[in-house]
Amino acid sequence: MDTTDGQRSDPTDLDFRTDGQDSVVAIEFRGLAKSFGDIEAVQSLDLKIPRGQICGYLGPNGAGKTTTVKMATGMISPTSGTALINGIDIAGSPLKAKLMVGVVPETGALYENLTPIEYLTLVGRLYHLESDAALEKAEEFLRLFGIADSSERMMTGFSRGMRQKVLISAALLHNPDILFLDEPLAGLDANTALILKELLRELASRGKTVFYCSHILEVVEKVCDRVVILNRGEVVADGDVDELKEMTHRASLEDAFTELTSEDDLGAIVKAFSHSITGRAREAGNEQ
Amino acid sequence: MSSRHSGYDRLHHENRNSDQAADWGQIRALFAAGLHLDLRSARAGQRSRLKIPAMVSMLATYAIIGSILALSLVRTSDPFTFTLLTFSAAMFMTAITVIMEYSSVVVSPNDYDILAHRPVSSRTYYFAKVANLLFYVACTATALNLPAAIVVGFRFDGGAAVGFLYMIMALIACFAAAALVVLLYSTALKLFDYQRFNRAITYVHLLATLALTFGYVLLPRMLIKEDVTVVIEKGPWIWFAPPAWYAGGVELSVGLGDSRNLILALLAIASAVVVIHTALTMISLEYSRSIGQLTESSPEETIRKDRRKLRTRFAALGIVFCRNDEEKAGFQLMQAYMRRNGKLRLRIYPAFGLPLAVYLFGLVSGGLNDPLGPRSLENAFPVRELLGFYCVFITLFFASAITQSDQWKASWIFFAAPVENRVGLLIGARKLVIWRYMTPFFCVLLVLLSFAMPPVSATLYLFVTFVLSLTTFALLSMASPFMPLSQSIEKTRQARQMGLIMLLGIAMVFLVAITETLREARLAGTIAVVLLLALAGLSEIALRKRLTSRLAGEEFLG
Repeated sequence: MDTTDGQRSDPTDLDFRTDGQDSVVAIEFRGLAKSFGDIEAVQSLDLKIPRGQICGYLGPNGAGKTTTVKMATGMISPTSGTALINGIDIAGSPLKAKLMVGVVPETGALYENLTPIEYLTLVGRLYHLESDAALEKAEEFLRLFGIADSSERMMTGFSRGMRQKVLISAALLHNPDILFLDEPLAGLDANTALILKELLRELASRGKTVFYCSHILEVVEKVCDRVVILNRGEVVADGDVDELKEMTHRASLEDAFTELTSEDDLGAIVKAFSHSITGRAREAGNEQ
Repeated sequence: MSSRHSGYDRLHHENRNSDQAADWGQIRALFAAGLHLDLRSARAGQRSRLKIPAMVSMLATYAIIGSILALSLVRTSDPFTFTLLTFSAAMFMTAITVIMEYSSVVVSPNDYDILAHRPVSSRTYYFAKVANLLFYVACTATALNLPAAIVVGFRFDGGAAVGFLYMIMALIACFAAAALVVLLYSTALKLFDYQRFNRAITYVHLLATLALTFGYVLLPRMLIKEDVTVVIEKGPWIWFAPPAWYAGGVELSVGLGDSRNLILALLAIASAVVVIHTALTMISLEYSRSIGQLTESSPEETIRKDRRKLRTRFAALGIVFCRNDEEKAGFQLMQAYMRRNGKLRLRIYPAFGLPLAVYLFGLVSGGLNDPLGPRSLENAFPVRELLGFYCVFITLFFASAITQSDQWKASWIFFAAPVENRVGLLIGARKLVIWRYMTPFFCVLLVLLSFAMPPVSATLYLFVTFVLSLTTFALLSMASPFMPLSQSIEKTRQARQMGLIMLLGIAMVFLVAITETLREARLAGTIAVVLLLALAGLSEIALRKRLTSRLAGEEFLG
């Protein structure tokens, strides 16, 4: 077993444990940071996510959620720090680490001029699955998602939800240990969203780890074991939903989130918007 | 390692364990997917099947160009002369094609979001892209050179075997030309940091076009000067002209071998191997990282904003030519995109290298004589006409670029918003191009031409060329009646339009006829110019009518 700086490179030999917890660490960020020029998108992020946990990763727009996912999945290099996947540094051994990861990117990017079957078969090959096995799994996933009828159509005409189903299938195809899901419910109908939520719980119970970025707080509240809130590139809260409510003395996760990430009076902003849209003059006229 | 592993398996297994190695299984899969993507239309809602016409029409275009080239040289009795000229043209066209497609083939971060998080090594990613490019080059090179190979087979000693050998040499030559372009961009990617690369690549494109036009097309013509039926004497220049190396190889095969031809042939093969090998390996290891960095947002945009204020203000002045809100919207949209979208600039700027190369050639050869002065028979090569041709040719790039974008789906807004006059959007975009790019370019050319001919003659000559360019631009827009940035960028589309080079010859007939009339009879010439202006006006009216009928029933298919 190769060891570099105390990090183990063999993904099958996992004995990384969180401090004082009896669980294996699946995802670990050590001082992870990313800057774009003067803008610090993510600032020295330290995080350990044990195996089998669904970790909700929340934050307002531009907080650095997607940047974190991109660094953790090897899509971009961090300015400093490391991201470990099952103990493997994604920057040091990207191929080994990536084999263990399934990703649903926020951009929803896929090759639209391929059919779902062709796309999933391609993805299967990239993860070294046998062609027949990849095809079989692809067909099964598409059937389960209810888009088997469209499996031979180019995806150019697909709705956002249909594309999302293909993307989720692609992320699960190689049975990864860890899932990075960036807004996975985008465009999905209520039934499919329900299936996915249940599926995530099921996968977590089987030891899969899920890093779940979303703006839909109700879903995070229901699905996630733990919630990390990011604001301006920094972690401002980390705990389960009840802990966050307690910490902010709020009754709901939504209120807790607002308390932690917004310095503005949201009511005043709404009023100002309303004024701007309908016109102050008209409102002044009505008042008269 | 168990004994049941074959050599290949072992190698494959070891490769998989290395983050740097190429994975041939993945390359095959990515290459196959790339072929599917290239051969299919981007139109929504179509059944999955190969859409042959796009690729076939492109290859047919190249075959027609190759046939014309081969037939125009059929009288040439010397195999070296024949192959030198055909190889020059083929290598030039291949290089230009790769330049035009490069941004969408190799330096394209489009699929980075799809592949970056998957276990694909940098070398695998790069090799898959280059394999796709080489397949594309193999197809175009075959179409381009097959007619000449047939002519060689019939015309020279050795028959079909020589024709076959010619084809092999032509393919190697075209691969080498493509690899040379790849090498050029790889060097740029290595030299410039990623923030500057996006900007620098545009000018690298322009320089490459200029150098290739000058080196592959004009230089051989300058060396020949006389009728192509005569034999080109080999001089020391052959050691500096790559097409001559390949031509030497072909000449060797028809039994005209001497030690010089042997060395030329060896030089051709060796240089091709070196260039292709270097192109394949130079950036393959850092390719993935480089492309990834290209996708990151650049803070330089804001830094450069102030520097660009003057140009931006100049561009904004052109809005006074817009008649209504739709035209203004189209104008401003195109202004912002041209300024900020590197890919769009990348597809347009190389075109400027063509007339500039001809201008340089004209200066060197003395071919840019006064169009209104006494006729000179000394210089048979029509430099001035070629300059005019390329000035008009630029509009081909503009007409194609203003309707295409990788963000074409954003054009839904044109359909969702209560746009009364959709035609105005494209007209506004065209006005930006004319004001911001064509007019300054012709002004620069006027200054440059004033060094080679009297300013009055230069002004008159460029005025006629400018009006012809506007007319051609209108006709090309009629052939591509879409709203601004509303069409997807298809790899073969721009290459297919190379075929329109032939059609642009009609504009040249006008140019020659008008300048000759002006030279011989001023009054008749003036009338001809007025008629040309009327033609330009009519083409604008026709364009509006065509767009009105075409865009009225247009639906958003995103």
